[in-house]
Amino acid sequence: MSLTFTNIVCGYGDTLVVRGVSGQVQAGRALAIVGRNGVGKSTLLKGLAGLLPLAQGQLIWGGRDITGSALHTRVAQGMAYTPQDNVVFAELSVAENLWLHLNDRDADRYTELFEQFPLLARRQSQRSGSLSGGERKLLAFTRTLGLRPKLALLDEPTEGVQPENIDRMAHLIRQRKRTGVSFIIVEQNLEFVSAFADDVIVLDHGEQVLQGALADLGRERIERHLVV
Amino acid sequence: MDSGTVLHALNLAYELATLALTTLGLAIVFGLLGVMNMAHGEFVMMGAYAAVTVQQWGLPLITAVPLAVVVCGGLGYAVERWLIRPLYARPFDTLLATWALAMLLRKLVEAIFGRGYRNVESALTQPTLVLGSPYPVYRLALIVFTLAVMAGLFFWYRQSAAGLRVRAMTANPILAQALGIPTRRLASQAFVIGVVLAGLSGVLLAPLIRIEPGIGVDYLLDAFFVLVVGGLGTLGGLFGGVGIIGGAQAITSSIAGQTSGYAVVLMISIVFLWLKPDGLFSRR
Amino acid sequence: MAFFRDAKPAAALAAVLAGLPWASNDFTAYQIALFLVYGMAAQGVALCWGRLGFLSLGHALFFGLGAYLSGGVLRAASNEALWYLLLPLAIAAPALLAYLIARVVFARSTRSGPYFSLITLALTMLGFLAAQQWSGLTGGFNGMADIPELPGTSRYETLYWVIAACAVGSTLALSLLVARPIGVVWEAIAQNEDRLQLLGYATDRIKAMAFAGSALLTSLAGALFAAHQGIVTPQAMGFVLSTELVIWAAVGGKASALGPLLGATIVGYASAELREQLPYWEAAVATLFIGVVLFLPDGVAGLMRRGQAPRRASAGQAKPVRRPFAPAASLALAEVQTGQAGVRILDGLSLGLQGPGIRCIIGPNGAGKTSMFNLITGRLPLRGGNIRLNGHDIGGQPAWRVARQGIGRKMQVPSVFPALSVRENLGLALWAGRAHGTDLLCLATLGWQTPLLTDILGQFQALSEHLDNPAGNLAQGHRQALELAMTLLPEPGIVLLDEPCAGLSPAETHHMIQAIQSLVLRIGAAALLIEHDMSAVDALGGEVYVLHQGRLLEQGPLAQIQASPAVRAIYAGGRK
Repeated sequence: MSLTFTNIVCGYGDTLVVRGVSGQVQAGRALAIVGRNGVGKSTLLKGLAGLLPLAQGQLIWGGRDITGSALHTRVAQGMAYTPQDNVVFAELSVAENLWLHLNDRDADRYTELFEQFPLLARRQSQRSGSLSGGERKLLAFTRTLGLRPKLALLDEPTEGVQPENIDRMAHLIRQRKRTGVSFIIVEQNLEFVSAFADDVIVLDHGEQVLQGALADLGRERIERHLVV
Repeated sequence: MDSGTVLHALNLAYELATLALTTLGLAIVFGLLGVMNMAHGEFVMMGAYAAVTVQQWGLPLITAVPLAVVVCGGLGYAVERWLIRPLYARPFDTLLATWALAMLLRKLVEAIFGRGYRNVESALTQPTLVLGSPYPVYRLALIVFTLAVMAGLFFWYRQSAAGLRVRAMTANPILAQALGIPTRRLASQAFVIGVVLAGLSGVLLAPLIRIEPGIGVDYLLDAFFVLVVGGLGTLGGLFGGVGIIGGAQAITSSIAGQTSGYAVVLMISIVFLWLKPDGLFSRR
Repeated sequence: MAFFRDAKPAAALAAVLAGLPWASNDFTAYQIALFLVYGMAAQGVALCWGRLGFLSLGHALFFGLGAYLSGGVLRAASNEALWYLLLPLAIAAPALLAYLIARVVFARSTRSGPYFSLITLALTMLGFLAAQQWSGLTGGFNGMADIPELPGTSRYETLYWVIAACAVGSTLALSLLVARPIGVVWEAIAQNEDRLQLLGYATDRIKAMAFAGSALLTSLAGALFAAHQGIVTPQAMGFVLSTELVIWAAVGGKASALGPLLGATIVGYASAELREQLPYWEAAVATLFIGVVLFLPDGVAGLMRRGQAPRRASAGQAKPVRRPFAPAASLALAEVQTGQAGVRILDGLSLGLQGPGIRCIIGPNGAGKTSMFNLITGRLPLRGGNIRLNGHDIGGQPAWRVARQGIGRKMQVPSVFPALSVRENLGLALWAGRAHGTDLLCLATLGWQTPLLTDILGQFQALSEHLDNPAGNLAQGHRQALELAMTLLPEPGIVLLDEPCAGLSPAETHHMIQAIQSLVLRIGAAALLIEHDMSAVDALGGEVYVLHQGRLLEQGPLAQIQASPAVRAIYAGGRK
C-alpha cells in the first residue's frame, strides 16, 4: 500500500505552518522529512497522521482518500503514528504501555524487539514516567513496531536515545522495510536517516525546498540546509 | 462473643459497604475519567426512587434494577453527550453544570413524588442470628454482596484493559487516539457505566434507608471525600478511602455523636484537599 | 469624567431603589431589602469568580459569621451601649479569616482550581455543623433570636434606606475598582496567572486580598441580614445558601458589579413568591442555570452590556523602577540539576555570564534549554547546585520573587493576556516593580508612560495600531512583539528570551533581531536568547552557548562553534 499526499497546508488556529508540501511513499520504502527546528516538520507529520485538520490538501492511502478521517481510525487502516512529546503514558508501567491498546496477548509481537532492547524486557513493571527521555522514545518505538503497521509515522524517534540503540533502531527499520512496511520519519539526525531512507524532503519555513532520492541528492547538499 | 461487639462490627461493615457501593460509580466518572459529576448523588437517589416506583406499581423489587439501568443509562448518555462533552476543557463549568443538573433532578423528583419520606418494603428485612446476635438479613446480604463485588472488581481490573484505557486516555488523549483507542466512545461508555452503577447502588439501598429527594448530597460529598483522600484512579484508593473516611466517621460517631463524626470527615478532607489533593494511593 | 462613567450602574441602582418605596409600599420595600442583602453577598462571590477566576462554593460561611457576630454584638449592646464599638470588628473578623484561609491554600499551589472550591464547600459545612452544635453561642438549631434593630433605624421602615445605601455603595466601589489598574490585574490573574507571576506580581497575595475583600462585603451583608431579620439560623451559614449565591451571581452576571444584585432580586424574589405556586419553578431555575453555564457565561447583565468602555487615562510619566539591587550584571549557574517526575533534565549544568550584551543558547531538542530558563525563573525545582544573581543565591525562590529581582522571561509560546487590550497588557508590564501602595487604585496609573515604551511602540508599528484591540486577536508575529515588549518594560537586568523569532517570516525575523539588539542595548541588560535560526544567531553576534543532554558542551563565538567537530556531531548525528 502506498501513501500519497498532495499540497498539504496545515497549522494551528489561524497560523499556517506547512504551506503546500507533496510527496509519496511506496510499500517498503522510507521517506525522511528533515529541516531545522521550527520549519514545520512535526506539523506536517501531524497533518499526515490525522492529528491536525488539513486546511488544504489530500491524503490517499492504498487508493482510498482518507483526508478527513479521525486519528483513532487510522490504526485499523494500518497507519501507526508516534508523536514527538508525551510518547508514553507516564503513569502506567512499561508492560501496560505495550499492551493496553491491544486486544490480544500475542507474545510474539515483542519477542524480537525485546531481544534488541533487553532493558525494556527487564523493566516491564517500572513506571514509564521514571524512564529517561531516550528510554521512553525506545519504548514508544517498540510499541509502534509491535502494532505491525503497514506505515509507521515517527516524529524524532532517536531524540535522547543512546547510540547503540539508535543503530538497532535503524537495523529494525531496514528489516521491516524488507517485509513491505513503509516509514515516514521526521528527524534531525542525518546519520541515522542515511542508514535506511530512500527519499528525503527538506523543509524550510514550511515549504519544500528540496526533495528526491537520498542517493541522488547526497548528504552534503542536505546537510547544508541543516547544520549550524 | 459479646453481642455489643458483634453488633458494632456488623454495623461498621454495613457502613463501609454502603460507602463503597455508592462511591464506586464516582470512582469511575471522577477517578478514571476526571469528570467532577456533582449530580452523582442524584443518580443514587433516582435508583432508590426506581424501587419506590416499582413498588407503587405492585411489581417485585427486582424489577427496579432494569428500570434504574434504563433511566440512569439513558440520562447518563444524554448528559455526557450534551453537557459534559462541550465542557471537557473547562473543569469549573463542568462542576457548575453538573451541580445545576443535580438541582434540576432533585426538583423534578420533588415535583413528581413530593418531598415526604418514602419507604420500600423488602421480604428480607427480618432479622437472623449472627454469632448469637440478631441482625437484619438484608443488611447482611448487602455486606456479603459488596464484598463479592469488590473481590470481583479486583480480579477483573487486573485482567481487563478497559479501566486502564480510560485512565490512560484521560491523561494523554492524543496518544490514546494515536494507538487506535476511540476516546469519545470510551468516555461516553465510562460515564454511562458510572452513573448506572450509582443508580444500582440506590436500588440496593432502597429497603434500608429513608428515601426523599434530598438524600443525594450526602452520598455525593462522602464519595468525593473518599476519592480525594484515598486517591483517584486506583482500586487501592477506593478501598483506602472507604476505610479511612468510613472508619473515621463510624468510630467518631459512636464516641461523640453523628455530627462530630461528620465534622471529622470534613476536617480530614480539608487537610487532604489542601496538602495532598492526589490522595494516598494515586498512581501519579 | 471617568468617575461619572464608572458610577453609572450605581447611579441607576440608586434611582430605582429611591423610587421603590413610593412606587409600591413599605412592606414590599422590606422584602426587596432582604434580596438586596443577598445580592451584596452574591457580589462578593462574583468578585472572585467573575474577575479573578476562582470560585468559592462556601461563601455563606462569611455571611453567617458576619450575621452571628453582629447579631451577638447588637444583642449585647442593647444592655451596654459600649458594645456598638465592636460592630465594625464583627464585620471585619470574617474577612480576616478569609485572608488566612486563602493565603494558606494558595501558598501550596497557585492553581485556584476546583479543589479550592471544594475546600470552601467543606469549610462552610463545618461552619453549619458548628452553628448547630454550639447552641450556647449560636442558639443551635433554632438560631439566635431577638436581635434588636440597628441603632437609629426601624426594621420595617428606615432600615431599607441603610440597606439600599450599602447596595449602592458596594456597586459603586466594585465598579470603580474594576475600572482601575487593580481591575486589570485581577482579570490578568484569571487569564494567565503564570505570566503575571513572571512579571513579578505576587499573585497568591493578590488573590488572598481579593478573597478577603469579597468576604468583607459578604460579612457586611450578613450583618445587615441580622438586623433585618432579627434572627439568624444555621441556614445562614449552610451550603444551600452558598449554592444560591453562586446561582444568583451566575444568572445575574458574574462579570458585572450590578449583575449579582439583579440575580438575587429577580431570581431570589421571584423564587420566594412563586415557589409555592408553581411546582416546577425550581426545576426551571435549575434549567436556567444550566443554560447560563453552557451558553451565557456573563449572565443577564452580559446581555445588557454593550461592551465595556476601554480603560484609559491621560498620559503621565511613570514612577521609576524599585529594585533590591542595581540592574544585575551577572548570572551564574553552578552544577545545577533539575528534573520532573523522576526524570533528570539538567545534569550538572554550569554557565555564567557577566555584563550587558546578547548571548545565544543553542542545542538539539531535549538538551535542556527551555528547562534552564524554567529553573532560573523558579518553575522547576532546584535539585542540586546553585544559581547566583549578582552574587545572591536565588535558587528555589517562587517565580514572582525571582522576577522582582530583575529577571525578565519571554516564553517559548507567546504568552500574553488574550482578553485584555494591548494597552492593558503593556500597562501590566509597566506597573510591575513600579506601582506600590495605592498606585494600583489610581486612574492616573493607567496613563503611565516611559521613554522605553515610546521607543518600543515606535519600533513595532503594529502594536501602536492595535492598542485597544484584545491581545488574543493579534497575529503570531505581533504577539511575539507584544510579549517582547512586556518582558523588557520592567527594565530587568537579565533578559531570558525563548525563541523570539519562532513562527516569524524571514523579514519579521530580521526586524525582531534588530529591535532586540537596540532595546537590550538601551536598557543595558544582559540577554540570553534561545534560537534555532542560525542566521539570527549570526546577526546578533556575541557569545554562543551550546547545550547538550542537560550540560554545557561548549561556548564561544559563533565561528568557533560552527567549526567545532563536537558540535557538528550532535547536530548531524554520528559519534562524538
